[in-house]
Amino acid sequence: MKYAVLSNGNLEGSQRRLGASLLVSFGVLLIAGIGLAVGTRDWRQEEQVYPVIAEAGNFADLFEKTEEYNFDPPVPGSYALPPLKQAPDGQVLDFVGRETELAGLLKGKISLVSFVYVLCSDENGCPIAMSTLFNIHEASAELPALRDDVQLVTISFDPERDTPEAMASFAYPVLSDAEKESKLDWRFLTTSGNRALKPIIDGFGQAIDRSGDEDVINHLLRMYLVDRSGRIRNVYGLGMIDPRLLMTDIETLMMEEVS
Amino acid sequence: MKQLKNKLAAGFVALFAFGTTPVIADETCQSPYMPKITGQEEFVYVWTLGEAGVGDESDKLVTVDVRPESDSYGKVIASLSVGGLNEAHHGGFSADRRYFWAGGLDTNKIFIFDIHSDAAKPKLHKVVDSFVKDSGGAVGPHTFYGLPGRMMITALSNDKDHGGRTALVEYTNEGDYVATYWMPTAENPQGAKIDSPVVDGFGYDVRALIRKNIMLTSSFTGWSNYMMDFGKMLKDEAAMKRFGQTVVQWDLHTRQPKKVMHVPGAPLEIRFPWGPNSNYAFTTTALTSKLWLIHEDDEGEWHSKPVADIGDPSKVPLPVDISIAADDQHLWINSFLDGMTRLFDISDPHAPKQVYEKKIASQVNMVSQSWDGKRVYFTSSLLANWDKKGADNEQFLKAYDWNGKELIEKFSIDFHKEGLGRAHIMRFGSSKLYSS
Repeated sequence: MKYAVLSNGNLEGSQRRLGASLLVSFGVLLIAGIGLAVGTRDWRQEEQVYPVIAEAGNFADLFEKTEEYNFDPPVPGSYALPPLKQAPDGQVLDFVGRETELAGLLKGKISLVSFVYVLCSDENGCPIAMSTLFNIHEASAELPALRDDVQLVTISFDPERDTPEAMASFAYPVLSDAEKESKLDWRFLTTSGNRALKPIIDGFGQAIDRSGDEDVINHLLRMYLVDRSGRIRNVYGLGMIDPRLLMTDIETLMMEEVS
Repeated sequence: MKQLKNKLAAGFVALFAFGTTPVIADETCQSPYMPKITGQEEFVYVWTLGEAGVGDESDKLVTVDVRPESDSYGKVIASLSVGGLNEAHHGGFSADRRYFWAGGLDTNKIFIFDIHSDAAKPKLHKVVDSFVKDSGGAVGPHTFYGLPGRMMITALSNDKDHGGRTALVEYTNEGDYVATYWMPTAENPQGAKIDSPVVDGFGYDVRALIRKNIMLTSSFTGWSNYMMDFGKMLKDEAAMKRFGQTVVQWDLHTRQPKKVMHVPGAPLEIRFPWGPNSNYAFTTTALTSKLWLIHEDDEGEWHSKPVADIGDPSKVPLPVDISIAADDQHLWINSFLDGMTRLFDISDPHAPKQVYEKKIASQVNMVSQSWDGKRVYFTSSLLANWDKKGADNEQFLKAYDWNGKELIEKFSIDFHKEGLGRAHIMRFGSSKLYSS
């Protein structure tokens, strides 16, 4: 139950700025965290050499098959992920407000990039992405060497409300995790405004649509797999956000590098 | 690991517009990755073949206003000619539903229309004219199936012999080539399990069941047949042997063929149901006039079997387009040569039964229904060289209401009188998908 304890504590500490909407978002994480099931294999007992896939079995084995994804994932390395295009560059802000180039952050590691906005409460939107990434983040403790090669990147498409401070609150459960050094880096980013944001979401192809309700930003759930060279290698939508598929694709990219 | 409950229930609910109301929606036969129109469609886009002696004689995207309260309801409100004849045929939206991709089976050109800037007046965004070269020899871009960030396109033929051997070809949403996946053949099954006496390597439609990581493709015929005069082809014994007999099961994620199933008689459109536990699909065979079920057994193995006749197969009615209802209970089946539409009760997918039929015109090809099933649209053209001749060459878009018992005509547009051409595939549009 360590995930339940962790999530409760984080919830208490994260209510300050974003109130109810944040509770909704982290409620999802809490539900997902409680249900987290990881494999029984003791990865730490095994030799951790790059790539961690050596002797390690499949990354996807960290997760169980579910009704939503009712199939066995493919064998990693048995298929190709042809490059789609170069991920865009742009100026982003981390949760303490430091400005940096997105391309620089992406370079050198395989990244799972997601776009969210903190106020999103649509069950088919950001919460799915966040709960899945949260579960991958938690499970990555079983593969501590993986943090050298893989990172999670979450970018807000609501820069006016998702200030660096707001992102820090949003990310509190992760940033305050006592075990975060053994898990994947998870970068929570925003931008200085819509002008800085536009080339980034346009470059990825993340369509957003501001409705008449200013609290709602309509969007299609998308997640992107970016390789170490900054090339987009896969795009995921609703129905594909299966942690086993995501991890299998990551493993496939790593196998490609050493083949 | 526990996932959010119900996230895939009720179909794949999209997040675009209609205020804050989620939008789900021919609507019933589209890529599940795509935002849907569950309410009233505003526009019907008709990818139309140019025809000698009709208007500018060029292919065009025709926009029809179907807003019931509009002064121009049932009228053509836009017509965008692309210049020239391409054998305009099928098309599909990108998964974000901002662009409509439409192909030419003869010239291999792909026209990408922007439908989001002004849903009432599409504009030509880009033309891809390198399909054959990009793909390494695939010919005849047919089905356009939107996947996140990319477009999966089935081809019908190849540039070596213009026969039916062909491939799936993938492009990015920007129209840049990604990859080619050749259909499995007897010589190169690519690891696929073979459950068919024929492994033809032909292609036609593609559809996916994401929850099972399954993709299915069907098989038609190559350029040498679909560009031949229909009457001439029927008398050509060799040509009549060059039709597809297979459905291929693919791994959706890896794009690898897993199994080749025997479905003789040119299986065309593929439709998966929307139910969260429905592990099957329907297709119809043009030459044998049968409805086929592609289904998963209790061991997870996929099979094919004929489950119903469509009309009188001995009269070769030539089944063409099909449209499944959102509740998976009914299936509209058009047949070209007798101009009929038939409604089948598919509540038991293993034993479908015809419950209604109506003659639409001398010929009919495509059928599209609204998400609620209350509105059904029909168009006329099959292929330029296969359409009927003379007075039987009726070209139209017809709109009906379906009240559960009969089709009631709401309007009909004569594509000849309007100077448009041969009406082929329809797709629905709505400005409410794009609220900004």
